[in-house]
Amino acid sequence: MEHNAAGLYLPKTAKVQSVIEENSQIKTFALSLSMGAQPTVFRFQPGQFVMVSMPHCGEAPISIASSNSRTDSFDLSVRLAGRLTSAMHSLQPGDSVGIRGPFGRPFPLDKLVGTDLLFIAGGIGLAPLRSVILSCLADPRFSDNRITLLYGSRSPADIAFCTDLAAWEKSGRVDCHLTVDHGTPDWKGSVGLVTSLLDTVAPNPTRTKALVCGPGLMIRAVLAELTCLGFDPNDIITTLERHMKCGVGVCRHCHLDDKLVCRDGPVFTLAELQGHEVMELAT
Amino acid sequence: MERFNLLKKDHLIGFLRKLAKEYRIIAPVKNRHGDTLFTPVTDLDNDEIDLTNQPQNSIKSFLFPQTEVIATYQSSTPDDYTFTEPEPSFPPTIFFGVRPCDLSAILYMDVIFLKGKKDPFFLDKRRNSLLIGLNCTAPFANCFCNATNSGPFLEFGFDLQFTDLGDRFMVETGRSSGERLIEDRPQFFTPSTEKDSQARYQSFLEARGGFHRPVHLDQTLKKLAKGEVDESVWSFLSERCQDCGGCAYVCPTCTCFTISDQPLSPTNGERLRSWDACTFSGFTRMAGGHNPVHRATGAIRQRFLHKLLYDVKQHGRTSCVGCGRCVGICFGGTDIVRFINMSCQGELYGT
Amino acid sequence: MTNSINEIENAEVILVTGSNTTEAHPQVARRMFDAVDRGAKLIVIDPRRTPLAAMAHLHLPLHPGTDIPLLNGMMRIILDENLIDDLFIEMRTENYHALRDLLFRLDLDEVVRITGVPLDTISQAARLYARTQKAVICYCLGITQHICGTENVQTLANLAMMTGHVEKEDTGVDPLRGQNNVQGACDMGSLPNVFPSYQPVSNEDYREKFEKAWQTSLSGTPGLTLLDMTHGGADGAIRGLFIMGENPMLSDPVLSKVKETLTGLDFLVVVDLFMTDTAKLAHVVLPAASFAEKTGTFTNSERRVQMVRRAIPPIPGCKTDLEIIMNLSRRMGYPMEYDSPAEVMEEIALLTPIYGGMHHDRLENSWGLQWPCWDRQHPGTPFLHKYFFTRGRGHFVPASHQSPSEPMDATYPFQLMTGRIYHQYHTGTMSRKGTLLNRENGEALLQIHPDDAGRDNIRHGEMIILASRRGEIRVKAEVSDQVAPGTLYTTFHFSEAPINLLTTGARDPKANCPEYKICAARVEKIRQGP
Repeated sequence: MEHNAAGLYLPKTAKVQSVIEENSQIKTFALSLSMGAQPTVFRFQPGQFVMVSMPHCGEAPISIASSNSRTDSFDLSVRLAGRLTSAMHSLQPGDSVGIRGPFGRPFPLDKLVGTDLLFIAGGIGLAPLRSVILSCLADPRFSDNRITLLYGSRSPADIAFCTDLAAWEKSGRVDCHLTVDHGTPDWKGSVGLVTSLLDTVAPNPTRTKALVCGPGLMIRAVLAELTCLGFDPNDIITTLERHMKCGVGVCRHCHLDDKLVCRDGPVFTLAELQGHEVMELAT
Repeated sequence: MERFNLLKKDHLIGFLRKLAKEYRIIAPVKNRHGDTLFTPVTDLDNDEIDLTNQPQNSIKSFLFPQTEVIATYQSSTPDDYTFTEPEPSFPPTIFFGVRPCDLSAILYMDVIFLKGKKDPFFLDKRRNSLLIGLNCTAPFANCFCNATNSGPFLEFGFDLQFTDLGDRFMVETGRSSGERLIEDRPQFFTPSTEKDSQARYQSFLEARGGFHRPVHLDQTLKKLAKGEVDESVWSFLSERCQDCGGCAYVCPTCTCFTISDQPLSPTNGERLRSWDACTFSGFTRMAGGHNPVHRATGAIRQRFLHKLLYDVKQHGRTSCVGCGRCVGICFGGTDIVRFINMSCQGELYGT
Repeated sequence: MTNSINEIENAEVILVTGSNTTEAHPQVARRMFDAVDRGAKLIVIDPRRTPLAAMAHLHLPLHPGTDIPLLNGMMRIILDENLIDDLFIEMRTENYHALRDLLFRLDLDEVVRITGVPLDTISQAARLYARTQKAVICYCLGITQHICGTENVQTLANLAMMTGHVEKEDTGVDPLRGQNNVQGACDMGSLPNVFPSYQPVSNEDYREKFEKAWQTSLSGTPGLTLLDMTHGGADGAIRGLFIMGENPMLSDPVLSKVKETLTGLDFLVVVDLFMTDTAKLAHVVLPAASFAEKTGTFTNSERRVQMVRRAIPPIPGCKTDLEIIMNLSRRMGYPMEYDSPAEVMEEIALLTPIYGGMHHDRLENSWGLQWPCWDRQHPGTPFLHKYFFTRGRGHFVPASHQSPSEPMDATYPFQLMTGRIYHQYHTGTMSRKGTLLNRENGEALLQIHPDDAGRDNIRHGEMIILASRRGEIRVKAEVSDQVAPGTLYTTFHFSEAPINLLTTGARDPKANCPEYKICAARVEKIRQGP
């Protein structure tokens, strides 16, 4: 979708098609841009985000969680964090939101063809990676890639995207490993940080690309661990979350030294982040 | 295209009066409290056009207003939510008496707002603007445009540029749009002579020698590029920054903004774009409360690095134009000149 | 302030107590920074590690409400080490013996126990302050908003006088006044017992002077203090109230009592810019013009009277305070006709000796004049008490420790302190309308020490319940080591978390200032579900 100058800051109206309650904090909304009765085609690449408007709440950046093969609608997974996300959580099918985008530099899908893919996510951080996983599953170029997912949640009740996880597991295409920070008596899976799962799957650093997204602390731990395992900084790819206003590289709220996360990111390789003052890398 | 004309000072108002028939004129006007501000001239006979003092504001507030409606929205029910873009309303305008620092700042804003995805609101205003510059023959107390290479005289960027030669202005033409302003009103102008050019050059030399503050920006730029500015400089200045945002507001090149919704009724409202400042901690704070910038040590880091390092990398020059306004307004003692001086001294700071 | 703000720059030692200067008085803080950069030593006495305390050479983190023993301790050390200014005490003060006797009886171990400040730190502060030539004390509401507020101030004065640190340039005792015109309001007699210029209403001569000027008879009985009015309306005697530019429904202590009083009135009029919590209770609300819409003067902390001029005409429907008062008085049968604010200023100059030489034409195009300014030729007074105190000799009034009004117990184990933050102004009537200001500080945060938070499993950013013996509110926790264990700190700007539901109504019997700074409180997690 190309932008003309006139529409740079003008949101388009999108309709909520469906709402999935992932857990007590996260909901996934399927949205389609409406042009009269017909849904408008919406094209994007995994890793990109849209600016979402809610009445009287302004805008917030939210990464797209669906496959790029789907063009009549797209998914946004939203965790309760502030005023705008609270307002979104009361959305029902048929309701409207404002959408600008897609914006940002996506994951380098072309460079992932032919490698082992290791996805490491924490909490809502699975949303942008879900977009990559679904896109890869729908893309014949990736039919031979080995795909592994390590997913950490706070507790068993906090595990989001359960339907996807079950489907991936069932299809046999994605090797899913789950862990929780705090277990419950009926939790049979592993307990501990997501980094502990790395020992289980023992990725081969020479032919694997790692895609990481989650809370800052988790990203920090995972990046350090992957580096220890011998991953090249160019093969570790993450996506950063920042406060954003314009989404198009002008307002500068998302500054990261000389980079702007909305324009130069949100997807970065570790190599690109090294040498910068990055909260997620700070020691 | 370079051509020189003379305009007698006696005829300046007459010339502006002709221009005012087709354009809105915005010029430095001294108000009744003695403050000089760029102001739309509504009464050429009584408004006191002041070309001897530095205007307290820059052109920024006209091309990129402090608050601007970028959309209106309405939502009467949850399924109804639509946005409308406001109609452009910037009349053809001549900015008169723009000094080299402020003119350089406009050229910088052109890069920021028009180089990539064109900003529709800035574009509309810029398209309808002509710039008549005024070379600086006597730098003010806090000026350092000599260090930022944006003055005291300017070579390009203007439509017309005036230089004060006593009883007359030498008028340079920078663009065809400027040339037309003269061609359509030839009765005001006479060709300049070699003597006038010499007088102009003399005036330039005097201005260049007339700066009050030694600002060794070149040394600071080298140190920044090599990463040699000591951490203690940042924390020393950050803990003294009083978080008022005044520097960003008076700065002719600070173009960071925020976007917010202003409800006008339960069912509709305006989306506003307004000036913001990277020195505020809320500038980077995320919805959950996390802040990637640690205020105590980094409050002013982005401000100075952006102007003196990142823009040099990206655009080949600093985005500080040396107008000195922030030096006058900062009450925390953390202005850019203090930073420049501290960073080239290379001492360790702390309390 | 006895000094001018600029003089702080030249001080050699600055003792700041009960003032979060960088947040509340940034212009003053700037001078402190400049002084420090020139080599001055900064001593901060504050229960919290405020930004200023963090950069101070000495921080004395006393237990809340123990200022008197701490200052007495400093004075005892000054006495023991013979760092007093004998000549000054002899020539310029009286009643020194009373102080000396009290100090000799003082047990320094007891001081350390009460204040929680190590003796070594107290000694260092005492020596630093006493040994210097130019020493300034800056204090603020952390000193005055206690039941012993008056004694706190007197004790600071004792310290300054005993070391001769008054009556000189760059040296003195400086209360930092809160709001931009609180000094001017007091100067103009907005106090129950005085006419403008602090001329007591009980004095017949002064009364006669004002009766002559205003052509009406005036009462010689002092009026009521704020809390006398808003806490019970003088036991119900008050049936109507006219409130201008004040929001007691957020700013006064024990809000439940304020609400009961205001809703029980026969008639309440509120004059304000916006619909405040107080205005919502009014029978009549008169919309007022803002500072930008009127001409007049403000008097700041350093007694400087400065002019503001109307920048924009009043928003349609709004009137200036002057117009509102003139309109009302005319209809009430007492026409007060002034053609301009300058005419009001002429009357102020006529009746208010300390403003005697202040006229708009002198204030126009200047940085203002500092009172006392006795006549048109007088240049104003940058610092007070040069060569003599207002009352002649400086009188020592020794004081001993008074426990805060409300003891802590097992149910309310915390000491709750209240204050302000940089981006909000008082009850937020104006500042909370600003998007950027609200983004910077848009909600009340309760500072709680990590140890205390950890014990109750309170997370940073969690909404919790804060309760005192008078009520409870919900507020967001800010886990921070700015506060000491056992103490809590929050701000009163936010009507969503009206902290003054909790504060105590106890007040300083002399100045009638409520003890906003300390009450007993507890915190608890919000229970989810049934």
